[in-house]
Amino acid sequence: MQSALMESNWAAEHLQVIRTLMERSALYRRALAPIMIFNGVVGLAAAALGWTLKVGSPRVFIFFWAGVGVVALAGSFLLVRRQALKESEPFWSPPTRRVTQALLPPLVAGLMISVVVLVRAGLVAGQHDNLAAVLWLPLIWVVLYGCAFHAAGFFMPRGMRMFGWAFIIGGCGLFAAGVPAWARPLDYAHGVMGCFFGGLHLAYGVYLYFTEHRRNAT
Amino acid sequence: MNPDTFLQLDRVIHEKGRLAILSMLAASPELSFTELRDALTMTDGNLTTHIRTLQQAGYLSVTKSFQNNRPLTTCSLTCAGRKAFANYINLLEQIIRQTKGE
Repeated sequence: MQSALMESNWAAEHLQVIRTLMERSALYRRALAPIMIFNGVVGLAAAALGWTLKVGSPRVFIFFWAGVGVVALAGSFLLVRRQALKESEPFWSPPTRRVTQALLPPLVAGLMISVVVLVRAGLVAGQHDNLAAVLWLPLIWVVLYGCAFHAAGFFMPRGMRMFGWAFIIGGCGLFAAGVPAWARPLDYAHGVMGCFFGGLHLAYGVYLYFTEHRRNAT
Repeated sequence: MNPDTFLQLDRVIHEKGRLAILSMLAASPELSFTELRDALTMTDGNLTTHIRTLQQAGYLSVTKSFQNNRPLTTCSLTCAGRKAFANYINLLEQIIRQTKGE
C-alpha cells in the first residue's frame, strides 16, 4: 500500500516537472503587470498632453502618437530586459521570439496604413477628407493592436487573448458608432487613444499586479 | 498497482535529463543546443550525450546550419519521439489512476 502511494507521488511529481518544463519552453513568463502599467500611464499622459497642447493637425497627430509608441516600446523593452537579467535568463528566449513573431504582422500593417495616411494628410493638409482619415486611424490601430495581442496570447497567459478581444470589440464598436456629432474631431481621437492605450493597459496592469502576485505566492 | 504499467515505461525517456529535453521540445517546434543547455543548466558534454542517445532511439532529429557565420545546432522531436513522449505521459497518468483506485 505504502509502495503504491510512493509510486503515485513519484508519478505525480514527474508530471509536474514535465508540465513546468513544457510551460518554460512554450509560454512567455515575464511579469506583465509592470509593462502594462507603464504603457497605461504613458498612454493616459500622452492623451492628456495631446488634449491640452491641442495637437490638432492630422500630420502632427500621427507623429505625436508614433513618438508615444516609440517611448512605450522602448520602456517595455527595458522592463523585459531587466526582468531577464534579474532571472539570469536570455532576453531573446524562444517564447519571446514567438511572441514577437505573433505581434509583428498586425503591428506592421498598422505602421504601413499610418504611413499612407501620413503621406496623404501631408499632401493636402487641413482638408476635411484628411481629417476624417486621421479620425479613423486610432480605431484601426486599436483593432490591429487587439489582433496582435490576441495572436501573441497563444504564447502568453490566457488573459492576454481576452485583452486582445477587448481592443478588437471596442475598436469595432466605435467604428459602428461613428464619431459623435458633439465631439471635436481630434479631441475625440486623443480620447480614443487615451481610453484604449492608456485606460485598458492600466486596468489590465492593475489586475495583473494582484493576480500575478497571488500566483507567485502560491 | 499493476507492475506491468511501470515496466512499460520507456527506459530511454525515463532518465531525468532526457525527459527534460523531451519536455522542452514537446512544447516547442525546435530549440537550439544553446537554448536547451541554458534552460536546463546542463554542461555541453552532458547535453551532447543525452541528445545522441535520443537521436539513436529515433526520438530526436538534429539539424546543423550556420547563423551569422556561426554554427547552429537545432533539435526537434521526430514523430516517433512525440509518440513515445505522449505514451510515457499516459503511463504516468495510468500509474496515478491505478494507485488512487486501490
